[in-house]
Amino acid sequence: MTTIDTTGGTPESAAPRRGGDGALRRYLAALRTPRGAAGAGLLGALVLLALLAPALFPGGYDEQGSGGLAGASAAHWMGTDELGRDILARTVYGLRTDLSLLLTAVPASAVIGTLMGLSGVLSRWLGAGMQRLLDVILGFPGIVLGMSVVLVIGTGWLALFASILVIGLPLFGRQARAGLQIEQEREYVLAARVLGVRRRTVMTRHVLPNIVDPIVVNAAVYMVVAIFIEAGLSIVGLGIQPPIPSLGAMLNTGARYLEVHPAYVMGPGLVLLLLTLAFTLLSNALNKAVLRK
Amino acid sequence: MNAIAQGIMTETGHDEAGPLLDVRGLRTEFVTGAGTVRAVNDVSLTVRRGQVLGVVGESGSGKSVTARSILRMVPEPGRITGGEVQFEGRDLLALSEPDMRALRGSEIAMVFQDPQSALNPVLTVGYQIAEALIVHGAGKRTARSRALDLLRQVGIPDAERRIDDYPHQFSGGMRQRVVIAIALAGSPSLLIADEPTTALDVTIQAQILRLLGRLRDELGIAVLMITHDMGVVAETCDDVVVMYGGRVVEQGPVEVVFARQEHPYTADLLKAMPRLDTGAQVRLPAIPGMPPDPAALPPGCAFHPRCRLAEDQCRTAVPGLTPQGGKGQSAACWVTGRGVPIPPLDAVPGEAGARAGTGGAPLLQVRDLRVDVGSGRRGLFGRPEPVYAVDGVSLSVAGGETLGLVGESGCGKSTLARTIVGINRPAAGEVTVGGAAAGTPGGARALRSAVQYVFQDPYASLNPRRTIRQSLDEALEMRGVPRPERAAEASALLRRVGLNDTHLDRYPHAFSGGQRQRIGIARALAVEPKVLICDEPVSALDVSIQAQIINLLESLRDELGLGYLFIAHDLSVVRHLSDRVAVMYLGKIVETGPVDTVYTTPQHPYTTALLSSSPAPETTARERDRIVLTGDLPSPKDPPSGCRFRTRCPIGPLAHPERRVCVEREPVLTETPAGQLAACHFAGEMAELAGRR
Amino acid sequence: MLRFLVRRLPSVVFVLLATTVVAFLLPRLAPGDPASVAAGPEATPEQIAALRIEMGLDRPLIQQYLDWMGGLFTGQLGESLQFRRPVSELIGARLESTVELTVAATLLMIVVGIGLGVFAGSARSRWSRFTADATNTTLLAMPPFLAGLLLVILLGVTFRVLPISGEVAVLDDPVIGLQYLILPAIALAVPMSGSIAMLVQSSMDNAWRQDYVDLAVAKGVGRRRIAVRHVVRNSLGPAVVAIGIRFGEMLAGAVVIEMIFARNGLGQLAVTSVQSADYNVVQVLIVGAVVIAVVVQLLTEIAMATLDPRVRLGV
Repeated sequence: MTTIDTTGGTPESAAPRRGGDGALRRYLAALRTPRGAAGAGLLGALVLLALLAPALFPGGYDEQGSGGLAGASAAHWMGTDELGRDILARTVYGLRTDLSLLLTAVPASAVIGTLMGLSGVLSRWLGAGMQRLLDVILGFPGIVLGMSVVLVIGTGWLALFASILVIGLPLFGRQARAGLQIEQEREYVLAARVLGVRRRTVMTRHVLPNIVDPIVVNAAVYMVVAIFIEAGLSIVGLGIQPPIPSLGAMLNTGARYLEVHPAYVMGPGLVLLLLTLAFTLLSNALNKAVLRK
Repeated sequence: MNAIAQGIMTETGHDEAGPLLDVRGLRTEFVTGAGTVRAVNDVSLTVRRGQVLGVVGESGSGKSVTARSILRMVPEPGRITGGEVQFEGRDLLALSEPDMRALRGSEIAMVFQDPQSALNPVLTVGYQIAEALIVHGAGKRTARSRALDLLRQVGIPDAERRIDDYPHQFSGGMRQRVVIAIALAGSPSLLIADEPTTALDVTIQAQILRLLGRLRDELGIAVLMITHDMGVVAETCDDVVVMYGGRVVEQGPVEVVFARQEHPYTADLLKAMPRLDTGAQVRLPAIPGMPPDPAALPPGCAFHPRCRLAEDQCRTAVPGLTPQGGKGQSAACWVTGRGVPIPPLDAVPGEAGARAGTGGAPLLQVRDLRVDVGSGRRGLFGRPEPVYAVDGVSLSVAGGETLGLVGESGCGKSTLARTIVGINRPAAGEVTVGGAAAGTPGGARALRSAVQYVFQDPYASLNPRRTIRQSLDEALEMRGVPRPERAAEASALLRRVGLNDTHLDRYPHAFSGGQRQRIGIARALAVEPKVLICDEPVSALDVSIQAQIINLLESLRDELGLGYLFIAHDLSVVRHLSDRVAVMYLGKIVETGPVDTVYTTPQHPYTTALLSSSPAPETTARERDRIVLTGDLPSPKDPPSGCRFRTRCPIGPLAHPERRVCVEREPVLTETPAGQLAACHFAGEMAELAGRR
Repeated sequence: MLRFLVRRLPSVVFVLLATTVVAFLLPRLAPGDPASVAAGPEATPEQIAALRIEMGLDRPLIQQYLDWMGGLFTGQLGESLQFRRPVSELIGARLESTVELTVAATLLMIVVGIGLGVFAGSARSRWSRFTADATNTTLLAMPPFLAGLLLVILLGVTFRVLPISGEVAVLDDPVIGLQYLILPAIALAVPMSGSIAMLVQSSMDNAWRQDYVDLAVAKGVGRRRIAVRHVVRNSLGPAVVAIGIRFGEMLAGAVVIEMIFARNGLGQLAVTSVQSADYNVVQVLIVGAVVIAVVVQLLTEIAMATLDPRVRLGV
């Protein structure tokens, strides 16, 4: 059917729009768009680089050379840091640290946050309580929350993991709750209820699949925020502690030598920029392909 | 083509000044990724000064794009690719954009379909009217005083106070009046009204149509009225243009065209419409198939796949519009063009013999039902305030019979239906199914298997992620059909509703609205219910599709002995399908009884007004004295005391201040001499008045 | 309007109360005894015990909380364990620096974000749309600290146009003060304006498709007037709300930016206090940050309400 007369919009042909084809196929369709392909390619390259770090730099991130703060040379393409360690190696290992945080903390946050948002299904009181809890978390500016976490459990990977996880909860929780409210009132959901389909079946069959899509898009968006959280906390010295490298931690120390050795911050800075760019492109592509019908 | 248009014009032209608007050979195309869609194809039409031209067609006919092309407001990626639009001697398609902008609003103005979205929510109505004057050079102060005059002219009460209100503070009908005021601001000589009453209720529609008629008479404005409703055309237009598949298939003066159609589409469409004055002795002669997709028009005459007169020539060559039939009439048909008359349709009798006896023990009974739709949020002080959308309704449906439920939007009819099937919870009263109360656990199960629901919106009621087979399987599973037998059952169900096995594994988006509604019916039938609650099942469909679904529902009822609670705002559809009818106003039933009795001798003034407001597709009805209600439906949050209808009642305290009883005492449903029940202290008085006229 | 505030108030008060509880509990959640942490590694058991009493750790938890809350309301914020000076004095000395930074950055964010968004939302040609899109995406992907470092390298190290380290109060010497302020403010504001711009753009795109725009065209209104009177007006609401939400991030970003540009503000104080477990200072700063973030958000919601009569008049 066309909608020319009623909406004055573009005529739609009978070409399939949003079909019942599996979620995975729609996500893959997002990757076939130019933005999606660029984002996925970039991310893939970065992940590959991080995975290959031990092979590329057998000396590891902590191998100290003789000269500190040396410029670029054949042995050290980006020079060395204040302790004579290869900046390139440390950057790649730093990327490894960042990815290990992002790829665990963000999914964990998405899953827990979504469950918190959906908890209203089990009981109205539980749902309202969770909503209040998320409101409180949302009241905390990101880094302030991170500082509170550090205050309790000290600095390190775990503190960053916990910070990223907790800061994301309201984002996913609210999204899930809003989605639930919309999806539960769809006419086909009512139709299933009138047929007498059990509540649990209605939820898993008709309601949840439509809530998942926006959560996935949000997770891609939140990856960028998570990068900022890691880097922000590390830059002020509350993140990953030496000698382990992370992109943010390298920016922290590198910033001290800006005038003598600008490449020190440029390496990790560039990788960080590429990482955020990859996730920004991906989330844009997913958003267009999955949410806009 | 031009020569023909010219010919028609001179033939029609009883005014010497020439036409106000003369569109010739207009083409508008949409270039999309899937190809070029010709939405408007070689359309010619003429609007005479001070006259009303109706452009009528179903969805995809190109009527709205035609209207927008005239003002050069075709949405992206649309392009006008050919033709001329002559307006007072100028070709609008050749004007520069600044000249065109100067003309919009000052010489040609437009009224949109949905007053809800056509007004800017953050600007006052006064500003929005004044802006139409300011952009054409008026000063701020004069613009404002003119805006005030306009508000008064379109009948906004208390205009001085309301001029600084925002759109959301007005009701739908009042907003449409504001949109009309904006259109009138520049004193245009042509008003293009794009489905101006489609989004409104019948009583409000009657108000707006009356207003447009008055403006035409008082100000001499010509109107180009785009509509899908033949009734609106018959009652308000001087000339009519019928569009199909992007082309004009028939045109002429309204009296001539409604008396005798020269194109089979026009003829069959009129026959397919249910009538207010005849019941269901015969099936509606529905046009088979569906309106074509403009992206994939059939070759030759676009109507040929659905036409009962189609010949070989119709399949290959497009017929031109040629004068034929009465004075000023022309049509584009190879067959009638040769002088072959359109044969009358064979009346298909309803399967009267097969029809299971109505009456008997009621399957579904509703007693004193009250439903609270209040938000549940506490007021500032104390308890949450209840809002009863349904307030003490009783009704019953027996096997094989149809109870029609009519009322305007907001009267609570959908809430009632949803409460019966258990989506909403009743605050008081009970629903019993075959003797078991639906409130009990056992009763709830009985309800699920005995009562099913058909939704209004065929697009929203099917899960887009699930195939038709999956949707039907879910329902069959509920009936307890074992898995291996479900495939056979599912295909039997689809055949039952006029689809076939090849449709089973497709997703809903592959179907048209009518087909989806068939699927929705099949799903409801899957649990073998005894009663179907049909909530406006045809109101979202095109007229030609509507007749198909009505026929399907009728034959299912008669073959399976189903009982229907059929909810609609369209009185003629209800008349066609129902045995008994109940009229609902603001949460209460105000009149109920056998359908013929209620329609011929309505006893409640609201019923009388509803019947009188419904446009009928015949020109003889124009002369009748219409009862147009004033005002809007009050909010159920704060219903009027006594009789709820008294604030709009033509025989109540508004007209007779001495009738205090209407304010003080609530009327109850009581039997009237004519046989039906009516809840009015002065039941029957209205019918006498109407009869005397 | 009043009803709108009354409706929002309970949840705002709840969030603020809950924040004070969290902040109060923080030292007690950490492993180890706050008193021994505060006393430092070389303290004798007697000193620790004395400190326990001084910090009030021997009293019931509720009592401690109420005392602490009382202190917050009366300005008795306690003493920094690190600097051995009253917390209020420490904060007072650094407040101006942070206020200058955030106010300047917020103004920049509003101007650049809305400006860029309106440009992108009204752009018609392919080229200007593409430019706007690319700028937005780049800004979005650019974290404040990276923007800061880039600015430092470019304008501070390579070209040496502006000072990159330290500060002078704007109130004391406007000309020099602004020179010190400009780079940190840009670094803090510009990345966040990317998301504001994106929001304005998408709500403008949406507004252009509304029926009221068609009605305005049919009235004969020109494109520019439609953009200003109808489209922008309807698109600012979401942007205003977003600015309110971003303000919390702005405070967070200030912490990092102060570090990079060596500004002696509250962010610096917070970082050193966290590092040396100076609970008295951190608690006050946390409560302060949340109060400011929540209040600003409430203010923007009020601003939104004045922009949209549907909210203001309570539908």
